[in-house]
Amino acid sequence: MADESNQLRVRLVTPERTLFEHVAGAVELPAKNGYMEVLYGHAPLLAELGAGDVIVHGGPDGPDTVTHYNVSWGFTEVLPDRVTILASDALRPEEIDVPRAEQQLDRGLEEWKQAGESEDAYTEALRVIAEAEAKLATAAEKH
Amino acid sequence: MANVLDLRRRIRSVKNMRQITKAMKMVSAAKLRRAQERALAARPYAKMITSVLESLTRRVDIIDPETGNLRHPLFATRPEKKVLLIIISGDKGFAGAFNSNILKTAFQFIAGNTDKQIDVEAVGRKGRDMMRRRHPAAGYTEQTDEQGNIRQVRNDRQSYVEVTGDHPGMLGKLEVSRVFELAQSVISRYCHEEIDAAYIVYNEFKSVISQRLVVERLLPIMKIGVPQITGAVEPTEAEKERAAEAALSAGITLEPIDTAAADDEARKFGTSQVDYIYEQPAEELLNGLLPQYVSSMLYHAMTESVAAEHAARMTAMDSASNNASDMIDAYTLEMNRVRQAAITKEIIEIVSGAAAV
Repeated sequence: MADESNQLRVRLVTPERTLFEHVAGAVELPAKNGYMEVLYGHAPLLAELGAGDVIVHGGPDGPDTVTHYNVSWGFTEVLPDRVTILASDALRPEEIDVPRAEQQLDRGLEEWKQAGESEDAYTEALRVIAEAEAKLATAAEKH
Repeated sequence: MANVLDLRRRIRSVKNMRQITKAMKMVSAAKLRRAQERALAARPYAKMITSVLESLTRRVDIIDPETGNLRHPLFATRPEKKVLLIIISGDKGFAGAFNSNILKTAFQFIAGNTDKQIDVEAVGRKGRDMMRRRHPAAGYTEQTDEQGNIRQVRNDRQSYVEVTGDHPGMLGKLEVSRVFELAQSVISRYCHEEIDAAYIVYNEFKSVISQRLVVERLLPIMKIGVPQITGAVEPTEAEKERAAEAALSAGITLEPIDTAAADDEARKFGTSQVDYIYEQPAEELLNGLLPQYVSSMLYHAMTESVAAEHAARMTAMDSASNNASDMIDAYTLEMNRVRQAAITKEIIEIVSGAAAV
């Protein structure tokens, strides 16, 4: 198990502010190609994030607690002793506006139907859907 | 000569006005403080995006050696024929020369580039109103193709300057998602070669005494992390002094807040001297990072402009309060004089009446 000497410094930064900065035991990250878990001593890595949950194990409230954040799009830099997450948008599960996320999902599905041949519109629609679904999933898990 | 009653009434109304301007000054000071905090909170992200892009461009050639293509269309430079100008002004007035200065700089830019086609994107209500009065809005027509898809096609230009869009109310409640949308629209126009360059005009704001009006080139990206400032107007010494006085009386610190430590920390992001595993190929990373970079530059410009607007309003309202105080003093003096003159006149009347008896 992680002791004082081999803990990760985790930072979650959004364009507006630094949301989280603390040492932790492990972090789960929603990379674009699937979730990954980072422990102390991970190889240096730079990855793009998709939409999903950042899960910090052992945050400021004790080693056994788990902190969730819903993030949508961004980047992460992993160094052996440090993880920095640059998220375009990050929310605590209780901050998620469920009706708004549902609206977003509907809008995404509508866009998806109307995308037709246009690849840009299609990708954009998929982005909106993924983001909304991730938000709803996080919110559902919490309540 | 006005009588005592009139003067008293006037003093009362000026006092009321001073109350209002004082209140507006304090409100602006509070808003300025909040805007400064927001600008500060946004720094780490902007710095990190910049540093990771810097390190990425250092490790990966901008030109793909296999295909000879640029890795991202935003690095492409073309002769500037069509230019996008983003004007960031305030939403409200009562801010001294803030809005008119920005518009003056914007008009100078337009007047200096008459050989180019200029699209204007106005952020802030004041700038939009002015631009709309002066220049026609870009027209679009809908076209339906064989598959039944509807496309928006731009009409022929009516003049060399056209307003393509406006965003009133964007600054009042500054949201990253809306700024990002604007950035994406700018990027897509650049990639589709609708524009060859993008400039922003805004009021840069380091602190109350160190601010200037700048014209900055947003696109194409020449070098990551180096703002391409093509024109700047510094305020005069007298203006700076005035602003400093107003800030002191409202309890705002003059010196820019020290961010060196936090900046250094942020600059380390993505720049360690180790070989990173790149989860995605460089093209994809650039594809994701560059829009964020452009958006963070725009967001930065907007937060600074908002802070500058509040600072300008605070200074203007401080001047107004001072002027009101001066006016009250002058009126009070005059009122006393009039009152004394009346008393003297009455005494003379009584004395001369007594003498006549």
